[in-house]
Amino acid sequence: MKKWFKKHQNFNFITGAAITGILLFTVFVSIFATPYDTTAMSVADKFAKPSFTHWMGCDNYGRDILSRVMEGMGNTFLIAVLTVLIGTVFGVIVGSLCGYFGGLLDDILMRINDVLFSFPSILLALVIISLLGTGRLNVTLALGIAFIPSFARIVRSEVKKQCSLDYVKSAALMGAGHIRIIFVHILPNIMPVLLSSVMIGFNNAVLAEAGLSYLGIGVQPPAASLGRMLSEAQSYLFTAPWYAIFPGIVIVLTVLGFALLAEGTTEEN
Amino acid sequence: MLLTLLAVSFIVFAAFEIIPGDAAVSRLGSNATKETVEALRVQMGLDKPFIVRYLNWLSGFVKGDFGTSISYNLPVSSMILEKLPITVTLTILSMIMTIGISIPLSLLIAKYAGSKFDRISYGTNQFVMAVPSFFLGIMMSWFFGMVLKLFRPGGYISYKKDFGGFLGYLILPAIAIAIPKCAMSIKLLRSAILTEAGKDYVRTAYSRGLSTMEVLYRHVLKNAMIPLITFWGMAVADMIAGSIVIEQVFNIPGLGRILLTSIANRDYPVVEAVIILIAFVVLIMNLVVDILYRVVDPRLRKD
Repeated sequence: MKKWFKKHQNFNFITGAAITGILLFTVFVSIFATPYDTTAMSVADKFAKPSFTHWMGCDNYGRDILSRVMEGMGNTFLIAVLTVLIGTVFGVIVGSLCGYFGGLLDDILMRINDVLFSFPSILLALVIISLLGTGRLNVTLALGIAFIPSFARIVRSEVKKQCSLDYVKSAALMGAGHIRIIFVHILPNIMPVLLSSVMIGFNNAVLAEAGLSYLGIGVQPPAASLGRMLSEAQSYLFTAPWYAIFPGIVIVLTVLGFALLAEGTTEEN
Repeated sequence: MLLTLLAVSFIVFAAFEIIPGDAAVSRLGSNATKETVEALRVQMGLDKPFIVRYLNWLSGFVKGDFGTSISYNLPVSSMILEKLPITVTLTILSMIMTIGISIPLSLLIAKYAGSKFDRISYGTNQFVMAVPSFFLGIMMSWFFGMVLKLFRPGGYISYKKDFGGFLGYLILPAIAIAIPKCAMSIKLLRSAILTEAGKDYVRTAYSRGLSTMEVLYRHVLKNAMIPLITFWGMAVADMIAGSIVIEQVFNIPGLGRILLTSIANRDYPVVEAVIILIAFVVLIMNLVVDILYRVVDPRLRKD
């Protein structure tokens, strides 16, 4: 039983790493070259079925879906990474300051944070987008801001736990300043927790980005995005189901890969 | 709680004040004369200072007057009231499905923990959690509409005309929202049940001669529900957010449709009202969760 369990964890990690690795490699390749031009239209190939020339078929303008999926993956990855970056950096700053100093500031910020946290992130992003306007940059910013509360909450509770430990007191006795204690002593100790929440956050960002661009307020055409492709594909669902299926599967694989990685790393510790 | 709602309303109002753009100009169009714009500004109360406008807006809110929509020139409250039943029904349906499916299924999985069945359901669960609900919705409308021909995509039936047909149309969207939530609940509930099942009171219950099912349902489940209540409370807000996207997939004219068109048209009174409404639901759910804790766990009732 125990042996099986051990094997099971490794299985999670390895599958996750394999899926993510393949996807990342594809994104890397797509920076330099895609099989076809992503915006090249061709009437002859309109709704071409998946074949050896067009692996995933063609869309309503005769554009190669594989090429567009590759570009869309790149966009989704970029937005998700930036989102998580914004969320983590500000979340760590707010969370660690609140957790370390406590007091009135902590009370006020966390009260606001609680309300924001219980607000679904896609809705929060929608609100911020309605203030900022649509577009790739604004969506990244909006999602980033929407992700701050969850990171701040996790970091705060972890920092609070660490604060009562002896090593923090010894560091203070040695004359280390508050900022040094927080960022040099405490932060490395909460890294494992932070890492797994970053991976889960990345997944949520991918899903939220796909949802937003599905609603038409993410990446603007003619640039490709997975969510946008799905919403375009929906009108042609009965004539060309593959147009919807492939972008959708790529989203599923991305999220699955990272979820398995997160599962594998957290259970390893 | 009232204080938090007040804070949220202030932040929302202030945020929509800061953004550039004049409501009066956007309502009249860019070629309106200066005098008519000025007149409308006075009529809309835009000439008054910020705090006065906020208080007016707030007092209107308490009285159920959410202002006037800029693009439709209709009272916001009647617009929202008309669409609210759709989103509420959708949310309730998917909540019932989530709870109804996840409790028996996770008990079953927990009963056979460590077996092949457990492993298969673990894998399925991981996979299902990765599927975005709108993709699931698209695939379901393709499968049920195209392959089985049981369902007509886009054939929404108004709840005023035919409530049965309306419910029937909402079943697939509700499933699309519920399934990812189910997967998450099963994962949480399974581990909660397994933790509880190792405790002393369970052994006592067995030694009293209760059957496995009795022990699981009467003793373990109650204790294992506690972390789930928090999750479900938050899931309600998530489901409302999810229904915004799903309404788009299945072409349902609910609250999500209003929110999206209002955002596109920069119709801020409507956006503000919808946000405040959802914030209100979120806060109510927090309260409900607190009450449910006390119902499930008598130890919390003392203080």
